[in-house]
Amino acid sequence: MRNQPVAISHHFTALSRIRLWYVCLLVVAGVFVVRLFYLQVIRHDYYQTAALTKQLKEYEVPASRGIIEATSNGKTVPIVLNESKYTLFADPIYVKDPKAAADAVARIIGGDANSYEAQLKTDNTRYVVLAKKLDKDKAEALDKLELKGIGTREASYRTYPQGQLAAQLLGFVNDEGSGKYGLEEALDAQLKGAPGQLKAITDAQGVPLASNKENIVIEPQQGDRVILTVDLGMQQQLEDALKSGLERAQSKTGSALIIEVKTGAVKAVANYPTYNPAEFFKTEDASVFNNAAVSAPLEVGSIMKPLTTAAALDLGVINKETTYYDPGFFQIGDARVTNIEEAGGAATRSVADILQLSLNTGATWLLMQMGGGEINKQARERWYDYMTDHYGFGKPTGIEQGYEAGGSIPDPNEGFGLDIQYANAAFGQGMTATPLQMAAALASAINGGTYFRPRLVEKIIRHDGVEKVVEPEIVRQDVVGARVSDDLRSLLEFAFSKNYMIYGMRNSHPEYSIGTKTGTAQVPKPEGGYYDDRFNGTFLGYIGGDTPQYVIVVRVNEPKIAGYAGSRAAGPIFSSVVENLINNGNVTPKTN
Amino acid sequence: MSRQRFSSRNQNTTTFKTKEQAIGPVSNTIMLIILACLLGLLYLTQVTKTNAFSYRINDLKEKQSSLQTEHDQLVVDSARLQSLERARSSEVANKLANATPSATIQN
Repeated sequence: MRNQPVAISHHFTALSRIRLWYVCLLVVAGVFVVRLFYLQVIRHDYYQTAALTKQLKEYEVPASRGIIEATSNGKTVPIVLNESKYTLFADPIYVKDPKAAADAVARIIGGDANSYEAQLKTDNTRYVVLAKKLDKDKAEALDKLELKGIGTREASYRTYPQGQLAAQLLGFVNDEGSGKYGLEEALDAQLKGAPGQLKAITDAQGVPLASNKENIVIEPQQGDRVILTVDLGMQQQLEDALKSGLERAQSKTGSALIIEVKTGAVKAVANYPTYNPAEFFKTEDASVFNNAAVSAPLEVGSIMKPLTTAAALDLGVINKETTYYDPGFFQIGDARVTNIEEAGGAATRSVADILQLSLNTGATWLLMQMGGGEINKQARERWYDYMTDHYGFGKPTGIEQGYEAGGSIPDPNEGFGLDIQYANAAFGQGMTATPLQMAAALASAINGGTYFRPRLVEKIIRHDGVEKVVEPEIVRQDVVGARVSDDLRSLLEFAFSKNYMIYGMRNSHPEYSIGTKTGTAQVPKPEGGYYDDRFNGTFLGYIGGDTPQYVIVVRVNEPKIAGYAGSRAAGPIFSSVVENLINNGNVTPKTN
Repeated sequence: MSRQRFSSRNQNTTTFKTKEQAIGPVSNTIMLIILACLLGLLYLTQVTKTNAFSYRINDLKEKQSSLQTEHDQLVVDSARLQSLERARSSEVANKLANATPSATIQN
């Protein structure tokens, strides 16, 4: 009886202790629950982001730039490809012994070890490029050294198996991967393709883990493969002929091109001087990058006369047999239009004489006929219409080239001295056009009157293998009438038959149809007027068999050779090109 | 009245009770936990197995990329070997002599 209260008390104390522990456990568990709730529910977004930042990797998969091919002996040959090269870079903070590292680098890739050492000691940057475009074997040798703070990175570069060939036509790709100049600039979007995307949960090494259902893999869309109309053989020979012709004529710069008469397909474009597109960064004069044949318009000179003649024939104001009295000069306002001395003075002249003797007065007379016998509003407007709407001057042709220029044609009704301006324009002065525009215009005037848009692309093969053949695009079908086309050809072939020896051609190649016109254009002064002693030589001609096949345009800037720039400087280049085309079997001769 | 009468006539007077071997709540919980663990283990095994393929895929992709680079380099080398400049400076080309065509093919 006496012990009972003690037992009760002891039991009560034990129970209380258990309950106390129980409460403690509950409190601890509660703390865990609250903490977990805080971390997993309230801070869910924060920790999810933090985890994904470590695990989720997002890469841009670069697209391979489309390759460019040209034709050679009926086959396509790559002329622009991509090549993997390596960039050697360093983070100077991690390079503990710059001298030793620089010596090791120099032993493998060559170059000046002191220069590398100086770069490795740079303290204001964490990224220095020690070398670019290293070959794979050198990159692997450097990687094997495991130099701390120094690494290599693979990058794709454009490579040009044909070296400098067609450099201005192709353009180049800068370090940012953008196409500059030429075809690379004009077709940049197509060649570039579209990068792919890889978004995935990765392990510590960055390897994407396949189990994550939210991984995103978008394959890159490779750039289009572009096949050009350019013939490699013609291109090489045109470049050779231009270079040697310029040296002979003592000229520093010039251009030439060959275009197919019945399609507008450009077969070759040459410019001199040129550059190596793989080492474009070594070129000091950026003007060398320009494809001058399409981007540098000039006052073309007398090679405009065949087009003036065709316009007058097409308007019906003259015919091929028309003769007229040429006074030897025309006074137009304060200005006087005269001829070269060799043309002789006043005489009765034929239309053929205008082209063969290159009569400025003849071209002026043709313009007068467009105005009913005088240079007036009608004459100006008619000639303006032919120059702009028929022959396509004053606007770019739309060829696949960067920086194509449109040239300039004076307004027929606004400005000062319109009559003399238009008289000048009748023989290729006071207006500007590119050699390409001249080639396309003459092609349309001799092929029956169809203006084909000049083009460089023959076919495009898309990343998915779909081929798109680029068909010749007709811009205008009635540039001149078919009869006018025939007449113009016979007039130009007559001019060639009389003058071919002046151009350095040994024979007239009667089994082919060859028509030509020279131009010796005065160089305009920036402040107005013309230099008396500076001329550009131009040459416009074609070769074919029963029908014209190729139009060739040559431009020689300010040659120093004696004689007229058109015939003495540009003429021999044309002759050389024509003889190459004949000897190579590129031209089909006449059938009878 | 009628219910009582019916009942007294047809209702069994003896009842049989079968003994049920029921699993207790503790066993039930343990079994569920074991099942959940097994399912978790199965999931982890599969995920690990799938992820192991990632490394194989990655290796194969690297190999493919390396072969593609090698192929591209061979194409570049081939194009360089066939370049006009190389053909022109070749030994064969240097032995060629200039010739003037004596006739033109008529077709």
